[in-house]
Amino acid sequence: MPEPAEIVRGTLDLLILRAVSWGPVHGYAVARWIAEATSDTLSIEEGTLYPALHRLHEKGLIDAEWGLSENNRRARYYTLTTAGRRHLRQQAASFTRYARAIFAALDAPANPRPREA
Amino acid sequence: MPHAEPRWRRYLRFHGADVSADVDDELRFHLDSLEADLRAQGFTDAEARREAARRFGSMAAMRERLRRQDTRRSHREARTAWWRDAAQDARYAARSLAQRPAFTLAIIVVLALGVGATTAMFSAVDAALLRPLPFAHPDQLLELRDVSIPMGADFSPGVPANQPHVPDISDAAQMRDHFSHVAAYASGGLNLSDPENPQRVRVGVVTRDFFATLGVPPERGRTFSVAEGAPNGPAAVILSHDIWQRQYGGRDMTGALIQLNGTSYTVVGIMPRGFSFPGESELWIPLSVPLTFQTFEPFRGYLPSTVIARLRDGTTAAAANARLSAMWTRALAPIAATTDGRYAAQRLATIHAQGATTPLRDTLVGDRARALLVLLGATGLLLLIACANVTNLLLSRAAWRRREIAVRGVLGATRSRLVRQLLTESVLLSVVGTAFGVALAPLVLHLVGALMPAHLAGVASAHVDVRVLAFAAALALLTGVGFGLWPALGAAHANAGATIKDGGAHGATEGAASRTRRALVTAELALTIVLLIGSGLMLRSFLRLTSTSAGLDAEHVGTLELAFPQVARARATHLRTISAMLDRMRSVRGIDAVGAVNDLPLSQEGGIGLQVTVDGAPPPPPDEPRFARYLVTSGGYFRAMGIPLVSGRVFTAADDSLAPKVVIVNATMAQRYWPGQSALGRTIHFGGDTVPVTVIGIVGDVRQASLDEAPEPQMFFSIHDQTPDHVALVARGTLDGHALLARMTQAVHSVDRAQAVFHVRTMDDVLSTSIAPRRTNTLLISLFGVLALVLAALGVYAVVSYGVTQRHRELGIRSALGATSADLVTLVAREMTWVVTLGVVIGLVAAWLLTRLLASQLYDVTVHDPAIFVLAALALILPAAAATLVPALRATRVDPATVMKAE
Repeated sequence: MPEPAEIVRGTLDLLILRAVSWGPVHGYAVARWIAEATSDTLSIEEGTLYPALHRLHEKGLIDAEWGLSENNRRARYYTLTTAGRRHLRQQAASFTRYARAIFAALDAPANPRPREA
Repeated sequence: MPHAEPRWRRYLRFHGADVSADVDDELRFHLDSLEADLRAQGFTDAEARREAARRFGSMAAMRERLRRQDTRRSHREARTAWWRDAAQDARYAARSLAQRPAFTLAIIVVLALGVGATTAMFSAVDAALLRPLPFAHPDQLLELRDVSIPMGADFSPGVPANQPHVPDISDAAQMRDHFSHVAAYASGGLNLSDPENPQRVRVGVVTRDFFATLGVPPERGRTFSVAEGAPNGPAAVILSHDIWQRQYGGRDMTGALIQLNGTSYTVVGIMPRGFSFPGESELWIPLSVPLTFQTFEPFRGYLPSTVIARLRDGTTAAAANARLSAMWTRALAPIAATTDGRYAAQRLATIHAQGATTPLRDTLVGDRARALLVLLGATGLLLLIACANVTNLLLSRAAWRRREIAVRGVLGATRSRLVRQLLTESVLLSVVGTAFGVALAPLVLHLVGALMPAHLAGVASAHVDVRVLAFAAALALLTGVGFGLWPALGAAHANAGATIKDGGAHGATEGAASRTRRALVTAELALTIVLLIGSGLMLRSFLRLTSTSAGLDAEHVGTLELAFPQVARARATHLRTISAMLDRMRSVRGIDAVGAVNDLPLSQEGGIGLQVTVDGAPPPPPDEPRFARYLVTSGGYFRAMGIPLVSGRVFTAADDSLAPKVVIVNATMAQRYWPGQSALGRTIHFGGDTVPVTVIGIVGDVRQASLDEAPEPQMFFSIHDQTPDHVALVARGTLDGHALLARMTQAVHSVDRAQAVFHVRTMDDVLSTSIAPRRTNTLLISLFGVLALVLAALGVYAVVSYGVTQRHRELGIRSALGATSADLVTLVAREMTWVVTLGVVIGLVAAWLLTRLLASQLYDVTVHDPAIFVLAALALILPAAAATLVPALRATRVDPATVMKAE
């Protein structure tokens, strides 16, 4: 992808919150979900996921807890906090509005006709 | 290949989060999972590793970034958790303290007393010794010992011409490489004329450089000009902010004239609020160099001055001191070496021993520093006793709570958490105790007031301020942790399993705890003995002092003071006024005797010393002249004041300035200057005077300056001959004090309505004011001693009482096996006998070593007064015995049947 950084940065938090919203998941699962859900369109460097996860944790939007993975390895599991759920709802709504507006603009005719008197 | 976490790292996690290890683990897990998935998709091991690393991006940078981020977060969480725990601990502590109100109250009262006393004494010491004086760079200010101001040519004779030239203020002013400023000041009182409210004001008489030396500029106007500071210069005055507001309503006064003792002074400036040095001055007038008679006269010729200097930047007090000492040596050493040079040698020795300069603060604080420090030390001991007591109470309580603590331990509270919980309790106690103590402090401070050095009045006053509060807060924390730590550690040590099983009555640490308790009580007793002996010595000194006769009979005597405008021609008028006033007083029913004197006894004013020549006696060594204190009285003064006439007669109205000169001397003067013979009819001379003065009477010695100073030679002149412009009228009668003073004031005003009257008081008040500092000192240290005694007795009681409760079962069994009551009491009281004996012995030894510090405070009592040591030991042993026996007797009431049934 040419220059996705700006867009990804803003939306990555949103995607992570969404990934975490179904229950405890570890970082690797979050990365896999994002890749699958976006059909690999947004395949980012997976490492950049972690600063985002930890930042969200620091902000209190997600909780972190050590647990055992499917293959009995110690893994860090993330869950959504109440604040995180509220944040996800608001951000999802506002992003949807934003995206709709962009789409609408992109679909609009080239030259708006001048208003008839 | 999956990465295995090293085993040791897991152990680290038992002690909280390990941020780096967690970050490594999380990233490792991601990579391992990714590699595993890739292998499942058919990658070889090596390809999978390479592909995973590619997709992940820079591992090292990521790890560093996460570590930093997580460390920040974990610190913040730890802080939050700490405060949450602290709040929880505080709530828990408050609840558990509230459950035992008597216990809690006892501790708070004990602490409040200890902290209150210590805080008050600290504020006094802080004001007197610690806080910088309110001048610019106060550490640069020095007093120049023994340096005087030269006297002008117009001054009265009396200074022999062949005196050596000793350093004076002009010499000091020449020391420009050492001193940037040199100044002198003196204090006195003048009458401020005001049509409605004639009043006496405190005046600072200061040289022109005085304000510049202190580094305090005026708030308005200017300080004295060169002309005003010169001999016989224009009369100028500077007002204090206070009198400017009070008397003149803060209106513009620059250039206004005010009347002091009948002379007009021009107001040139106003000093800023709060500045009243020296001695709570209300206004300042110039002191000229050299001194002139004009300066002296309004102050009845008595104006002792102090010379001060400010060190130049970069010079030291030691250098200035060395330079001045050298000047003194040059001036006095040649005379000191001669056979007649004893006085000069003595003067020089003092300079060498004590230094030619003293820090200004030391001069102002004077000898009160020791008294204040001794009392601060006494309160420190009291606080230690209070803390020992509280520790003791907490220890007994910790024993009772062992079960609760063990249960909490089993439920997962860590030791450090438990210690913290218990410390929170004790800190909470000490904070509350301190709060009450600080509330109590101003009361104690009020008592301490009389002890504050008089020279510091208006310079540094003692009050509870931020510094004192900080001191109290530090005390609270220290005492809280100090008395709480030991019980807390002990309690948290308790063996949980054993404690829960046997119901908390006995524990593994019981032996150690009771040893600690006994040690604490021993220390308390020893400290108490020290305080008691200190109080005893002070009390005995005080009793000795109050039983010392001042040489007069103060009962039923009233006095008031008057000052007349300073106009030499009006002396005859003054005498008529005084006589009229005395006649009016004498005619009052209930007044038996009246008199007048220029300086009241015991009012800190010793009167001026004059050099006398005793006719017919061999001349004294030239540098050891004969001096006598000079006083002026009416004939009735001696009877009114109750001073016995030993022989001869008193003055009559005929002894006026036209009659032959006569004098009355005191017994000391008679014995010292006419040893072995009668002084009556002998004559003396003053200075260059040729007129002989005949001794007509000898009166008993009076302690003129203060009760603890031995009488000096005194001579009395007739008021009809030398009328002073300041007198104290004295009346003795059957009226009670209040009525007597009212009648006296009425009598004065019936002669002259406008006469300013001040210091209206009974002679008993004068006497009691003169010993006020000593009384306060004694009162406070005795108060601390009694408090210590009460606390120590409480401590003994608590330990014995606790012992009886602990050994309840044992006592029951012994009783069942036939032990008598006496056996049981002996059993319980035995260990306390040792504790008390040891405490008393240690205390006596400590007191023996420490009472030296009190030496300067004592009067006519030695620091090792055996009676006081014995009495103090008895005063402690008796209450300790009572505090032991009362709970011990409870041991005899243990019912064996109940004890057996309880098993």
